[in-house]
Amino acid sequence: MLTLLVKPSASITFTFNDLEVSAIPGQSVGAALLAAGDRVLRVTRFEKKPRAMFCGIGVCFDCLVVIDGAPNQRACITEVKAKMVVRTQVGGA
Amino acid sequence: MNSPDVIVIGAGVVGASCALALTNAGLRVLIIDRGPVASGTSGAGEGNILVSDKEPSPELTLALRSRNAWFEVNEDIGGGFELDGKGGVVISRSETGIAGLKKLAKAQRENGIDAREVNAAELRKLEPHISPTIEYGVYYPQDAQCQPMLAAAQMIRAVKKRGGKFVQGENVIAINSKNGQLTGLTTNKNTYSSPIVLNATGTWAGDIAKLAGSYLPIAPRRGFILVTVPAPELIFHKVYDADYVANIASGEADLQSSAVVEGTASGTILIGASRERVGFKSEFEIPILRQLAQQAISVFPILKELQLLRAYRGFRPYAPDHLPVIGEDGNISGLWHAAGHEGAGIVLAPATAELITAEILGKTPFMDPTPFSPKRFMNQNPSAGVNVAS
Amino acid sequence: MKPEPARVVVVGGGPAGLSAALNAALSGASVLLIDSSSRLGGQYWRHLPETWLEQSELHLDLDTGLLLISAVANHPKIEIWSGAEIWSATHEDGAATLRLITNGVEKIITTKALVLATGAYDRTLPFPGWDIPGVMTPGGAQSLIKGNGIAVGKRVVVAGSGPFLLPVAAGLAQVGCEVIELLEANSPLRWLKSLPTLIQNLSKIGEAAHYIAIFNRFGVRPKFNRAVVAAHANQDGELESVSIAKIDSNFKIKKIERVKCDVAAIGWGFTADTSLAGALLLKQLVTKDEGVAVLVDENQESSIAGIFAAGEITGIGGSELSIAEGVIAGLAAAKYIGCKAEISNNHHKTRAKKQKFAKALISSYPVKSGWQSWLTDETIICRCEEVKYSKLKFAVTELGATDSRTAKLLSRCGMGMCQGRICGRFVVDLVANESGISPSDISEKERISVGNRPIITPISIELLANGE
Repeated sequence: MLTLLVKPSASITFTFNDLEVSAIPGQSVGAALLAAGDRVLRVTRFEKKPRAMFCGIGVCFDCLVVIDGAPNQRACITEVKAKMVVRTQVGGA
Repeated sequence: MNSPDVIVIGAGVVGASCALALTNAGLRVLIIDRGPVASGTSGAGEGNILVSDKEPSPELTLALRSRNAWFEVNEDIGGGFELDGKGGVVISRSETGIAGLKKLAKAQRENGIDAREVNAAELRKLEPHISPTIEYGVYYPQDAQCQPMLAAAQMIRAVKKRGGKFVQGENVIAINSKNGQLTGLTTNKNTYSSPIVLNATGTWAGDIAKLAGSYLPIAPRRGFILVTVPAPELIFHKVYDADYVANIASGEADLQSSAVVEGTASGTILIGASRERVGFKSEFEIPILRQLAQQAISVFPILKELQLLRAYRGFRPYAPDHLPVIGEDGNISGLWHAAGHEGAGIVLAPATAELITAEILGKTPFMDPTPFSPKRFMNQNPSAGVNVAS
Repeated sequence: MKPEPARVVVVGGGPAGLSAALNAALSGASVLLIDSSSRLGGQYWRHLPETWLEQSELHLDLDTGLLLISAVANHPKIEIWSGAEIWSATHEDGAATLRLITNGVEKIITTKALVLATGAYDRTLPFPGWDIPGVMTPGGAQSLIKGNGIAVGKRVVVAGSGPFLLPVAAGLAQVGCEVIELLEANSPLRWLKSLPTLIQNLSKIGEAAHYIAIFNRFGVRPKFNRAVVAAHANQDGELESVSIAKIDSNFKIKKIERVKCDVAAIGWGFTADTSLAGALLLKQLVTKDEGVAVLVDENQESSIAGIFAAGEITGIGGSELSIAEGVIAGLAAAKYIGCKAEISNNHHKTRAKKQKFAKALISSYPVKSGWQSWLTDETIICRCEEVKYSKLKFAVTELGATDSRTAKLLSRCGMGMCQGRICGRFVVDLVANESGISPSDISEKERISVGNRPIITPISIELLANGE
């Protein structure tokens, strides 16, 4: 396996739906959550279906989450910061 | 169908309404548009069905009838265009503004409009997120909204099911007549004969009149609308500043704008409204978008937390006296007009269709149509008058 | 507004943008490089922060990328704004005005010389279940590996069409995912068409050999004439399995089997991100893969003097072509503001060679219209607005839409947060098909107007209100 998986030891923590998640500085919110086993980031506003990262590069707006109270943040391109409060976005939040 | 009873030019909401009413009256109708359905002004508006912005006038009588007619159309064709009788709230913050609004509401009440003055507490029950600086408003339960493109498309769908026809992508290049009597029209692809042609081309109605050798002084009045990202239910009525009423009536060419804010069935919030006479200038002017955003925030500070998703602009068709043009042409027999509704084309469409249908069939209309008659422009000299394309 | 200094503004920090910025600066121009990402490199050289350890095995030529990035980052004449998103752009009186958001603040700049290198994103096609969590684009999967150092799942299916599937499948295998299927929709025989061009680009053969070695190491067996035609969710609503079909040369389904997986990375080549070019009203054209590209002349100058374009937005062609175009665009932009810059025959020759290769590749990986037969009435077409195929068809058959703009406004396909970036391109084909218009008769205007979005990316109403 690659040395890639030897990750920096320094880590930060943030919360997702009130549960603590640890991340490595430089990761995106979506990547940190996926690494922690949380793939579903959003629930659609009409059919209440779960959604996750799709394009992964900020184009599709499918990975919207609420960060520190602000809805419509793209988890895939928002770099994670210590103590961020991240929540699942339901509909238009 | 190469020889229908009536040819309607224009597949916007006014043309579609007229086509539906004429079809329901038993006439064979052909609708022709140079583009797809509602590709002009109907596809660039909020879908206002307002009685609140009208001062007592023939236009108010038309609007009141039309507002109810919309619900009848909804019933008739089986809905499908997001008609919502959500009501409107007009607010004002200045002393003179409040006095004017009170006076307007009183006059409207005397003319059959349900206009209820609301104080600060009642206002908050209607709109929990309204700015704390706003303490007075008038609530208009009759105000409504629809999705105008769907409305036009659904009405045309009904027309087609009832025997009418819609031809899109044909540009009218000639209105044909013989001995002062209209005989039909020619497009870039076909010639159609018909004793009656109804010009429902909105902002472009002057061009059709000109083709026929007549004259209509209708010109564009540009407006921008902002569309936010979908939001949870924040705004429940159409809420606007009383300045809007003054802006509509204004004869100024310069930019006027006032806050008009409302939610939609799809979750987005629409923010208007600007008015200016700059011809068909299509560029997006960022300063206007900024001004609309400022005004909307001043009424609903919570809008600060939302994002702008889209903006669009449209061209309202206005006549110099701000009244719609409904009726038979003064110069060409058989040429009819239903155009020039300015920003009220959606609300006025079904009643316009009723007037047109009654007059074409020689029946007594529900109101005196004289104030709207195209004949009011008959004595104007085109070369000295308003330039149609200005 | 006070007059701006003479400088070149470059938008995009990928191979084309970096090359343009560096070459403009080397010619003596002051350069402002605007990039939406927090780290330079674009999608191609997306990389982990420097604090991370060895990662070059995931990139064939990250070394080239890191060298270029560091040359740009350390050049005294280049100013870099990372994490900056342009929401509006206009062009008036010989200068472009860009309005952008960076660190929650709006900035407005004007420039006489502008280089657009806004890149591309995965081209997607809808199919039943493509909205299920676990279905994603190959680019998305790769950005999680290259930019975040994580594996996207345990059992992964990589599918679609095009050479990009190879590095993605290889990368997934290298970070520990089990790549259970690697499926190319087209036939390997199509490659023969591009063989002569391939031989002239020997480095590409080396690349292919590199991936094949990785596939051999991890037991990945590529299959052809196969596509993922449906995805299925488990009781939590997440991906549980996919239906893999053997398809004919027109992509019609011949035989289906079900395969369990937790991630399906599916892509069909790329779509150029022409939003900014469209806002500036640059002339665009339809490319051989039915995509849209910015029209440029031999010096990468667009239809508006002073605005240059390079990289994927002038036609999908990969990183080497992007670099060749970026170099020329950077030199031409510097020259435009009066710097001494020479564009040589060699520059043009290098670009021509890469262009030829790109063209050959595109014809080797067509997307055939049979994919439309994979859809059911219930299939989501617009992910944002959750518009089903039946509703889009209703807009055409019942409501009379014959063009995609009308169909969009009557069905809400493309009216959501992504502004049609994902569905716009294929909605054109679906509407045409429903209207009885053959793919070859779809007008250029129809395809180009899909990318028309005057508000390029959502902007806070508060920032909009507070701006100048």
